[in-house]
Parts: sequence; structure tokens; C-alpha cells
Amino acid sequence: MTPLLPVVTSVLFWVAAMCLVAGVAVVGPRRLYGVGENLVPYLRESRREVAALLVVLVVSGIGRPALQSISEVLGLRLTSLIFDLEGNFVAWLQGTFQSPQLTLYFSSVYVFGYAFLLVFPFIAYAALPESTTLKRLIVAYALNYAIGLVLYTVVLAYGPRNVMPDAVTSLLYTFNPEFRTLTAEVNVETNVFPSLHTSLSVTVAAFAALTHGQYPRWTPIAWWIAGSVVVSTMYLGIHWLTDVVFGTALALGCVYLSYRYVDAVEDRDRSAADRNATDQSAADRNTPDQNADDGTVEEPAEGGSA
Amino acid sequence: MTGRISRRDALAGIGLAVGSAGCAGRARNIAGRESSAQLVLEIRTTPADEDPNGIRIARALAENLDAVGVDARIETMNGTDLRRTVLLNHDFDVYVGQYTEVLPFDPDVLYGLTHSKFTAEAGWQNPFGFTDLDVDELLEEQRAADESDRARIVSELQESMCEKQPFTVVAFPDALAAARTDRFVGWETGPPISATGLLTMDFIDERSGDDGDPVTLRLATADGRISENWNPIAAEYRRYGTFMSMLYDRLAIVDDGATVPWLAREWEWTDPETLEIGLRDSTWHDGEPLTAEDVAFTYEFLRDTSMGGTEMPVPSPQFRGRGSIVESADAVDDSTVRLVVAETDETVAERALQVPILPRHVWIDRAETATVGGFELDTETTEALVTPNEDPVGSGPMRFVESTPGERVVFERNPDHFLVRAGSVDSADAETGEEAETDGDSAESTTGTEEEESIPEPYRGKPEFDRLEVAIVGSDVSAVQWVADGYADGTVSNLGPDSVPRIGRESDARLVSTQSAAFYYVGYNARRAPLSNPRFRGIVASLVDKSTIVDDAFAGYARPATSPLATSPEWVPGNLRWDDDREEDPVHPFRGKDGSLDAEATREALREIGYRFDESGRLLARDQ
Repeated sequence: MTPLLPVVTSVLFWVAAMCLVAGVAVVGPRRLYGVGENLVPYLRESRREVAALLVVLVVSGIGRPALQSISEVLGLRLTSLIFDLEGNFVAWLQGTFQSPQLTLYFSSVYVFGYAFLLVFPFIAYAALPESTTLKRLIVAYALNYAIGLVLYTVVLAYGPRNVMPDAVTSLLYTFNPEFRTLTAEVNVETNVFPSLHTSLSVTVAAFAALTHGQYPRWTPIAWWIAGSVVVSTMYLGIHWLTDVVFGTALALGCVYLSYRYVDAVEDRDRSAADRNATDQSAADRNTPDQNADDGTVEEPAEGGSA
Repeated sequence: MTGRISRRDALAGIGLAVGSAGCAGRARNIAGRESSAQLVLEIRTTPADEDPNGIRIARALAENLDAVGVDARIETMNGTDLRRTVLLNHDFDVYVGQYTEVLPFDPDVLYGLTHSKFTAEAGWQNPFGFTDLDVDELLEEQRAADESDRARIVSELQESMCEKQPFTVVAFPDALAAARTDRFVGWETGPPISATGLLTMDFIDERSGDDGDPVTLRLATADGRISENWNPIAAEYRRYGTFMSMLYDRLAIVDDGATVPWLAREWEWTDPETLEIGLRDSTWHDGEPLTAEDVAFTYEFLRDTSMGGTEMPVPSPQFRGRGSIVESADAVDDSTVRLVVAETDETVAERALQVPILPRHVWIDRAETATVGGFELDTETTEALVTPNEDPVGSGPMRFVESTPGERVVFERNPDHFLVRAGSVDSADAETGEEAETDGDSAESTTGTEEEESIPEPYRGKPEFDRLEVAIVGSDVSAVQWVADGYADGTVSNLGPDSVPRIGRESDARLVSTQSAAFYYVGYNARRAPLSNPRFRGIVASLVDKSTIVDDAFAGYARPATSPLATSPEWVPGNLRWDDDREEDPVHPFRGKDGSLDAEATREALREIGYRFDESGRLLARDQ
């Protein structure tokens, strides 16, 4: 018997509750209705991207012990370099602002807020009339994890709470040790560079900014939570400022690449669809007894969204 | 530093340009000298999650080193990694570590730790690369000396070592644990981090024993190594060897300061250099009988794990000091083994009996050179040193069941163990005891009685649990929380200043504190300048503010010390004792007051012993 189950249950409960509330407030009941219809076809359309994300997650889940061993033998040990670079910033941050209320706030944001932030965009973007944004999001997540995994293997570094326990308290785990059981399932203590909490939150925030037109209410919420998650990683003594800076850069890079990739793929698909449509209309012209007008207009539009 | 290099380059350039022999020679004389740069010292230790105390010692030392002009850097690495780089590869400047024996030990421990003959070997044997003729001589003498002389020699040895500081003893921590007393009691009788402490635990929760579920002792630790590796001689993976001592029997164990027979039923000195040992009737966990051959094999194996298969012996990285006491081991018959020791004090020789006895039929195949995917990478390593020893076959009171790396490991009671038999004899004793005692010659009845007699009472019929589950948790604080929430009965982790107050807040958990001999120390690599200089090490030692560290890093749950033998005060001479009036180290007192360092005075001391500083106060060093 372990304390894992109660923690997972409470995270699932709170994330579901927040998604429900945000779904109604941000997406709106009518569009939310579309999620049910869209989700399966959208995921089928982005099956390559979903597959890529799953592969990355499985590799990171199963291969982590092996990668960790490689990291221990061959990885760059950057703990003292990072410490030399930024000194006591995290200690200063914690020492200056620490209060029980903030600790409670940042602990909740780090666990519940972060989980919500990652899950909700799936719902929101599945409610959109096109699958493009959802596809971009999945690609960006996959890139974040994949690059993060490579960097975790190449760089071996410990976070502030492990290196300067006299100056930085491990606030999350000291006051909520049960969360430790959860994070131990998904993370290793030497995986601090870069901060994936930061990079994934900033990724979501960037998408929120880019889809401001569709979801104007989501942008401020996403920015607030993402900002809080970013600060919480340092406030709680888990990450260095350096990890956060690189995490942000990683996020922006991944968002950019996801746009480039999905646009390129869709262009290719569209031109392929156009070619099909041209062939089709040529075929149509060869059979003049059909009503050619309707066929030529509709076919490319359908192909474009494929 | 860059300034110097460019000046040197410029001089060389000018020298070449002028082309005159005299001038070029002068340029070579100047430029040919290596320039100095600031001394960089890397301090290695484990991260706070794994051990909350070591990193705090490292931080305090680094701060003081920085203050006197050394560029001190801390590199955290997990326990396995730290041991690998320090003990096996000798690739370190300074490290903060903890000694491996929890119970007070004999001074002969120092033989393995500091004798110069071990410097080239990998493992716990002299990892410091410390070489000193006087210390070597004293180490040899204390082994051979008789009881009356030995105390004097050991005193002298400690004085010599404290002066030369192959390592700096910082403090002896209390073995702290959070424990619940609703199911098991006896946490205080032996440290729960020792095998004997765990084995003698008493089960008191009668109601849960009735429903047929096995009685399970549940422990929580932040050290995951026991879930990955069960090799009793792999120095990288063993902390105190607690669980290994439950899997692998030793010929003798230390109980309450006395050496008592364990796997050995008894021993006898047949002459001053020969020890004849009778073994108990015992089987390995795989059903094979344990014989004198296994014991003889173990001693040879510890000396050379290649069993003569390589050009140079490949000694075991653990138990090397102890193993070196035994010159040869021979099986007389199936249950009798003869150990030949050189001229050796009896208590030292008894120390040699405290090594885990390994099954020959399992380990003989591991004497071959280790390979990775069929390739030999290094002829100095045998399979025995690198095997994780999955499904360990021991003869001890517990046997291995299963493990999930990083999560948990499960052991179960070995029903065939002599402790269990001694327990059943105990209960049967009421009826047949007298008869057995008078009828001494009948083999069947004597085994039981003799076992009973030589096994100390607290161990008979133990352990009282059928299963032992060790959960691997994230940190000391998590371990305490597991106990408080009822997921574990006790912690076997080192607890730090963040977790101790937590125990007080939880109504169901109690703080258990016992003395531990596993001292924290700062180890120096004497193979590297300037740490090769004992005077320099002495000054580094005086930068370790032991009193303040005990207050801050251990929240007071430790005692500062000078001698590594401080938990055996009978061996420590008065001038090396840490008394509370003095509040400072008698040999290398802290260079400062009330926790703040007098950096200028320390620099002056360094100047006096020949070190130089640049204009901004940085300590200069060459050839690093």
C-alpha cells in the first residue's frame, strides 16, 4: 500500500473540475458540444503526431532508467557551473517572499494548476472547427518532451533544494510530502535542466496568445497559471533560474517548429488534395452527363481539412 | 591569469624576434615556467534528498574555502556515483561522506582505511591515497601487540592520524528514525539501521497476526540502492550493509560490544596463530548445504576475486581490511574451518570473522573478468565486482523475494535459519532441556542445545516478522510522512533538520535516537597537490567548524569529534577527546569564533607553510 493512489485521485478530481468550469467559461456550452464530435476525427487526422507524442512518452517512461545510467557515466555535470552562473537567486527569491500562503498557492499551482494547464488546451482546441491548432499543440508537446529527454541525458544537474538545503527549503516536499510520491513517478532528481514544467507551461501560454482570437478569455488565465508555474518551480526550490530561462527558450522554439511543421504538412496535404481534386474534375469533365459544377467546388474543400 | 599568459607569449615573441642567443635564453627561462592560477577544489557529496547532512557539511566547508581564496565548487552526485568516482576511480579532490559501520568498531578499522599498501587498490581500502611510514608502522604494531601495549599504540596512531588528517572526522550523528510503536517495538535497543537492531524487533500487534496475513515489517528509506543491487561486496551500492547482513551470515557478529558466535558455533585458538572454527548446521537459500569449503573460499575470494585468474589480484572493495587479517583459510572437514592469522591480537582476529560468507557454487563463476556485451573493457575487474547479484543466495535469517527498482524491495524470513531453530528449541527446552544437556554426546540433541547456548537470548526465534518490505521514497521528509500516515513502521534513512521537527508534529510517529558509529568525514585525495601536503590538509581541517555544523546541519543530533574512534572512548586518549568545555577541536581548532571565520589569519597560516596569494587574495596553485 502506498500513498500514491489518494494523491492521483485528488489530482484527477481537481483537474476534471477545473476543466469543466473552464470549458463552460472559456469555450462556451455550444462549442463544448462540438468536442465530442470533433475529438475522434481530429485525433485520427493527427495520428502521426499523436503517435510521435506517445512514442516520446513511452521512451521517457520505459527508457529513463537506462538513459539515467548513460547520463551518470557520460553526462555533463553542470550543477556547480549553474550555481556559479546564477549564485543565490533562488535562495534570495525564497528568502524574500516565503510565506505559508504563498507556499500553499505555489504548491497547488505546481501540481494541480500545471496538470490543468496541460490538459485543458486539448479540450479547447478540439472544439475548434479545424484540427490544425490541436495538431500543432500535440507536435509542440512531443518536441518539448523529446528535446527535454535528450537534454536530461546529456546534462546531469541537481536542483537548488538538493544543493543548498541550508539556504533553499524544499518547500513542496517539506510541506506536502505526499506530492513527492507523485512526482517521483514522473521525474528524476537529476532532471532539472531544462525545466519541463516551465517549457510546457510557456508552450501553452504561447498557444493561448496565438489563439487569442478564438478564446479571448483563455489567454489571461493561461498566462496567469503559466506565470505562476514558472515562478513556483523556483520558489519551491526545485529549479534554477537557468533551467527556467532555457525552458522558456525551449518552449518558444517548440511552438515555432510546431507551426512550421504543421503548416508544411498541411500545405503538402492540401496540394496533394488539390491534385486529387484536379484529377477528379478532369475525370468529371470526361463524363459531361454529370452535373460538374457542384463536384469541382466541394471536393478540394473537403480534401483540405483532411 | 590571462594577463600572465599574454605577457609570457609576448616575451616569447620578443625573444624570437630579437634572435640573440642570450636574450632568447632569458625569454625561455621566464616563459618556460608554468604560471600559477587560483586553486580549484571540487567537493563531492550526495544531494540533500539522499542524505540531508553531507551536503550541509560540504556547503559550510566550501564557504570557508572560498573566503580564504580557494575556488571551491560543490558537485552533488548520487551515492552510487559518488562511491564509484571516489572509492573505485580515485577521481576526486575532496568529498564528504559517511563511514559504513553503525556499531562501535575496533581500532583495526584504520588499517584498511589508511595503510599505504592499499593505495593502488579500488574500494574502501585507503581511498585517500594516504601514505605515511609512521602510520603504517603503528597500524602493523597495533595488530600484533598484546592487549596492554595495544592501547598505547592505538593512542599514538590516533595522534599521528589526527595531526596528518588523511580525512577530517566531522561528527558522529545520532541514528535517528521515525517509528510507530503500534505494531513493532524495540526500535531503541539497536539502531534500526543495523541488522541486529532490526532482527531483535518485537511484534506486539496480536490482532493482525490472526487473519493469516504474514506479519510484515515495513520500512521506508530515501536510499534506493537496495532495490537495484544485492552484491555484498559492491562498495558503490552498500551504505551500512544492513540488509546484506540479513541475507548473508557472518561467522561472528558484534552484540552489545562483544563478539558473539553467529554462523560459527564456536571457535578455539589451537595455537597463537591458528583459529579453528566449528560451523552451525546451515543451508543456503537455494537449498545447497553450507560447508567449510564456502568459508575457506570466501576469504580467498575477498583477497582476489579473480581466484588467481588474472595477472594481478583483484581484491574486493569491501571487507578488505578485515580479510587481510587472515593469511589462509582451509576446510578441515565439512563443518570445521581453520584460519591462519599472523601474529595478531585476539580482538583483531575476531574482526576477521565479521565478513559475509558467500556460497562458493554461486560466486566461483564470477571470478572471470567482467565483460560488457562480450568485450573485456578492463582486466582489473571481475564479474563478482560488477554483478548486481540478482536473486541473492545467502544463508542469513532473511531471503530475497522481489524488487521493483526505485520503488520497493521485499524479503522474507528464512524458516531454516538457526535463529528459528534456536527459538523452537527454546520452547521445547522446558520439557527436554535437562536431558539434552546431560546427554552431551548424542549429536542430534546437542546441536539444538549448543546453538541455544551460543546464540544470545534476544536473537533466539527471531525475526518475529515473516516479511520485510522496504519502500523507496523521495527524501527523508517523505519517509517520515510514510510512517506518520501508517504506510511504514519505521524509517531507515538519515534524517535531516527538516524532517526531525515533523516527527514531533505527528501524533503517530515517534523520534527514536540511538548512537551511531558511522561518522561523517571530509576525505582528501592525497594523490593530488596540494592535498598531498599534510600541513595543507591540516589547515583545511581547521576550516571545518564542527560545533556549528552539529548545530545547523544535524539540528544538534550529533557529536563533534576529532578521532574516528570516538564511539569507543576507551581507545581515545584524553588529549584527543572532544570535551564540552573546550568546544573546539583539540588538534586543528576552527580558525574563527562563533561560526565566523577569521579569513586573514587563515591566509597568514597558509603563507607560513609556503602558499602564495595574488593581489585579490586568491590562493595560487600549480599543476592541478
